[in-house]
Amino acid sequence: MPGRNYCDRISRRDCLQVGAALLPLGMGMSLSSLLQRQAAAADGGAAKDKDDVALIILFLKGGLSTIDTLDLKPNAPSEFRGEFKPISTNVSGIEVCEHLPLLARQADKFALLRNFAHTDSGHGAADHWMLTGYAPRAGFNPSLKPNNQFPAHGSVIAKKLGPRGSVPPYVCLPRMHNSGGAAYLGASVAPFVVEADPNAPNFAVPDLIPPLSISSDRLGNRQELLATVDRFRKSGESQANQAAKSLSTFQQKAFQLMTSAETRAAFDIAREPDALRDRYGRHSLGQSCLMARRLVEAGVRCVTIDHTNWDTHYDNFNVLKNDLLPHLDTGLTTLLQDLNERSLQRKTLVVVMGEFGRTPRVNKDAGRDHWGPSNCILLSGAGIKGGLVVGATNERGEKPAENPVGPADLSATMFDCLGINAQDEFHTPEGRPVKIAADGRILRELYA
Amino acid sequence: MRLVRLVVTVGLVCSLWSGQAVQAADASVTPPSLPPIARLIIEPAVITLDGSGSLVTPLITGEVTADQQIDLTSRAKLESLSPTVFTVDTHGRLRGQDDGTGTLRISVAGKQLDVPIVARNMRLPRQFHFDNDILPILSKFSCNMSGCHGKAEGQAGFKLSVFGFDPRADHQALTQESRGRRINPVVPSASLLLTKASGGIPHGGGVRITKSSEEYRTLRDWIVAGMPYGSDETPRVVAVRVTPHERTLAMRDVQQLRVTARYSNGFEADVTHHARYQSNNEAVAKVDEFGLVTGGDVPGDVAIMAAYLGEVDVFRALVPRSELLTAQSSQPVLNLIDGHIDAKLSKLRIESSPLCSDADFVRRVYLDVIGTLPTASEAREFLASQDKDRRLKLVDALFQRPEFADYWALKWSDWLRVDRQALGHDGAYRYYKWIHDSFAKNVGLDQFAKELVAGQGLLADHPAGHFFKVVKDAGEMSSTLSQSLLGIRIDCAKCHHHPFDRWSQDDYYGMQAYFTGVRFKSTSRGEMLLASAGGVSQNPRSGLKIFAHPLGTSNPEAAPTGDPRLAFASWLVAADNPFFARNIVNRAWAHLLGRGIVEPLDDVRLTNPPSHPELLTALSKDFIDHKFDFRHLLKTIIASRTYQLSAAVTPTNTTDEQNFSRAVLRRLDAEVLLDAICQTTNIPEKFDGVPAGSRAIQLWDSQVPHYFLGIFGRPVRSTPCDCERAGTPNVSQVLHVLNSPEIQAKLTHDAGFLAELAQRPGLTDKQLIDELYLTFFSRYPSDPEQTTAEKYLQAQADKRQAAIEDLAWSMLNSLEFVFNH
Repeated sequence: MPGRNYCDRISRRDCLQVGAALLPLGMGMSLSSLLQRQAAAADGGAAKDKDDVALIILFLKGGLSTIDTLDLKPNAPSEFRGEFKPISTNVSGIEVCEHLPLLARQADKFALLRNFAHTDSGHGAADHWMLTGYAPRAGFNPSLKPNNQFPAHGSVIAKKLGPRGSVPPYVCLPRMHNSGGAAYLGASVAPFVVEADPNAPNFAVPDLIPPLSISSDRLGNRQELLATVDRFRKSGESQANQAAKSLSTFQQKAFQLMTSAETRAAFDIAREPDALRDRYGRHSLGQSCLMARRLVEAGVRCVTIDHTNWDTHYDNFNVLKNDLLPHLDTGLTTLLQDLNERSLQRKTLVVVMGEFGRTPRVNKDAGRDHWGPSNCILLSGAGIKGGLVVGATNERGEKPAENPVGPADLSATMFDCLGINAQDEFHTPEGRPVKIAADGRILRELYA
Repeated sequence: MRLVRLVVTVGLVCSLWSGQAVQAADASVTPPSLPPIARLIIEPAVITLDGSGSLVTPLITGEVTADQQIDLTSRAKLESLSPTVFTVDTHGRLRGQDDGTGTLRISVAGKQLDVPIVARNMRLPRQFHFDNDILPILSKFSCNMSGCHGKAEGQAGFKLSVFGFDPRADHQALTQESRGRRINPVVPSASLLLTKASGGIPHGGGVRITKSSEEYRTLRDWIVAGMPYGSDETPRVVAVRVTPHERTLAMRDVQQLRVTARYSNGFEADVTHHARYQSNNEAVAKVDEFGLVTGGDVPGDVAIMAAYLGEVDVFRALVPRSELLTAQSSQPVLNLIDGHIDAKLSKLRIESSPLCSDADFVRRVYLDVIGTLPTASEAREFLASQDKDRRLKLVDALFQRPEFADYWALKWSDWLRVDRQALGHDGAYRYYKWIHDSFAKNVGLDQFAKELVAGQGLLADHPAGHFFKVVKDAGEMSSTLSQSLLGIRIDCAKCHHHPFDRWSQDDYYGMQAYFTGVRFKSTSRGEMLLASAGGVSQNPRSGLKIFAHPLGTSNPEAAPTGDPRLAFASWLVAADNPFFARNIVNRAWAHLLGRGIVEPLDDVRLTNPPSHPELLTALSKDFIDHKFDFRHLLKTIIASRTYQLSAAVTPTNTTDEQNFSRAVLRRLDAEVLLDAICQTTNIPEKFDGVPAGSRAIQLWDSQVPHYFLGIFGRPVRSTPCDCERAGTPNVSQVLHVLNSPEIQAKLTHDAGFLAELAQRPGLTDKQLIDELYLTFFSRYPSDPEQTTAEKYLQAQADKRQAAIEDLAWSMLNSLEFVFNH
């Protein structure tokens, strides 16, 4: 098909042809299906009946004030309870914040884990703990990108389950959180990062498709040429070098992405009806939630949304009421409804978390500071029982009244929902065995 | 307090025992893996058990030859021939039972040795001191770590100070809080402290201390003794020492460590069983809680930290490849560097790669020194040169290029935080300009540092003073300067003793005190930096006044007179300053070799020792001797064979990325890569807010919006950490170079290099391909490469320019282009 544009309204058939042309280079679509089969063979058994569950993590970076939203303490002294009032939900006995009125009508779809706590009240370390299940060790440097000492949940999932179809298994948007990396699991399961805000008017995944002027023939030529011109690709010096090796891996993955029609379609948020986009809310959080649903529908196994900034040291109540909570209310509520309407809720686990809760006592700036010891988590779908509250904090919301559970337990539970055995071990490149979910306990009390 | 007096310096072989070394009685007893042992060496040389709390772990070393010593401690059988005087436990530790003298019989490797033991003061009640006897136990078992009772809010109602930085409060927490329920003086073994820690009562932290352990016994005896805090006159630990200090360890072999603490009264005690241990590279060797080191499967060197009561020392093991090098080829030693590198490699049994080609060199040195690719004609000229000094002459020529100052100003602007958001446009530009001018004029880095830390007056006249506006308070000033100028991270010591180094809060506040007088004043001629006399701060825990003093010295009687920053500046650039010159040398080295002698380059710690300490010292001395001349330093490193090694691997160095046995592939910095793409395509980039034609390495503002620079890891300069600049690849970077319209536009631009090349009259295919290779890869193509490219051009003869673009595209996307090699 000389001269025919490759990228414009491409047919599935064209894609397959490009993929086939690349086969000798090991870059075609067939590679992903091969990987998929290998992964399925490796992890078969118990995992099988659950292996199409996907995970969406809505990470409220900075730290959601759970005492003001999901775990209010109306009877605590005023310096603790804050300004917001609880409202009843569609499940009797469960109350949430008055500024989450839409979410209140979906309480039958989610569970609240109110006895969740950990012990690190610093950004960076707490983020790493929540996003990997592991508290960082000595030498942790939060400003590294990525800073992972342990792999993020998405990388574990990508490693254990492999890609589903031709879309990448693990996607971060609208950026990668610093703790979203693959650590010792390596470049092959690092996230595909969408460095763009799905709410932007011309949103497109940057550089996913070649320029329109490059025909599919020419693209094939170029790729063959690259394989011969790049003398370092298979050389000893690049094999002995981590950075060069991972660049080669990424090049392979890039070609897979480029030749995948599913991937392009999944990222094309403009295909959604305006009415639905409006319901999600025309803001970064809302459109990121919508994008996450599209991606999961297309076969992505884990989407991590990094939404910032929930670090309300100052003017907590106004910032929440006027800015943050309305976005969370439309975005999250519509996501839960939409998954339900598409019968995806059974196959999609949604987890909403910040790195920690916030200090129960309101500070002098009408704000709340960092607080690891109480941090309510919202979970929905994939076998999680709706309309459920597990655990409780004490009367001032300072810490779980009893039976605290922590990040490792949450990790173990998320992996279990996806059919991954949390007790399995990975080996670091040095051969050190590391359990994939610390020593967490599966929180079966959340299950329906 | 029980102390063991070591009459003979530990670590020396005592002649007392060498004379008694017994010849092997029966060689067949020796395990096959053990070489014949000439004699046994016992440390300490004289073993005295002083007081009922003292425990001694003797080290038993077998000497094979004068150069080869093997640890036999864990293989040896120890037997007390005088059990009423002392006993031996399963970890090979000796404990006194009653005053007297006795004999220890050591049997190992077919040899037997009897050693006299003296036990004394066994009947005196043990004199406890909380800091010396109880705190180490809480530290060793991680009770006071930040993940447990040491965190800000404590754990399950029981709070200890993190790492034990506040012993008085910890004593109070243990003995008084919760109405004293943690301690039961009537039935000591029923104390919560013991029952929780030993698993008698459920404990969130699990079983930490077994009932049969030494530590359990100490805690119990302390409770029995009435939980005393101890007398203020009790000697304090002033240093610890680990023996041996250095050893070559075979893969999977073991080495027992012995740790002694020296007290303020000069006494020494064996604290092997109380120290905390940590390996900095578990693949090379790991360590257990008793100080037993086990070699791994990866060759290299490793530092094992032993920490006790805030003092640390390090054992260094070299774990060589198991196979001997077959033929030792002799490689030239080009200057003071190579001998140090070769010596280590030979110990590790690793053979370095050969010298790199001229083509490798010209590309590497352009990128490293001026952050710029050589053009085709520059490469061609160098490759044609027959001058035997051409490599070093090229370096001298590069120092004269304007890009030299551009590139090094970019680097130092990262480390010194040229931050437009904090400084505003004008301030940030003036600050940057000062750095740029300093490198353009080759100002000595001693002078540079002095201007930075001690300047005063109008910022317009003293642009270096903008540094003090980027950082917000005296603490951040001192910690930022410590990291960028000394390579030391002291932030930990703000709140507690540094857990992996010797820095205390006094050290932190001593540094902070230099900057407590810094302030700014608005004048009609702009802002003015003022620094008043002062130089005092306060240790928030002890409440003591801390006068400004350098790291590693003790708190003086008074503050320096006048602006204390002047004293800091003098200390910094003094020839005997232990940190500054070494830090600069290490930064230059890391830049040129891809890895610091200390790595990470800005984390100098006792427990993160340099891979080549003598080399670091030698280079620092040379740097100081040459008046802190940065160009001289760069040239010295570049002149070494080590810098000029090829990136090709040898059969023995494939796993080595730490010992400089070959050139390491390094991804180009974001700015350098972008400039390389612009230069090769001859289509410049446009940046907001800077003059047209500016190159990316000339951007003084690291926040100029730019997608390419963002995804390729340009730092935001929110910290002085070198790690902010990310060199790790990701799929977005790859997609961008493969597909982006921006890159495609540069390839196809009518005024670009490729269009010009396609139209250049009289150019044969061969010449054209040479030109492409020289432009993108700074070398001529090999014959097969030439053939492949010619075939491609011929097959696409009707679309010649497109075919040239395709060749260029594949070159841009090659590892050879994206990496410095």
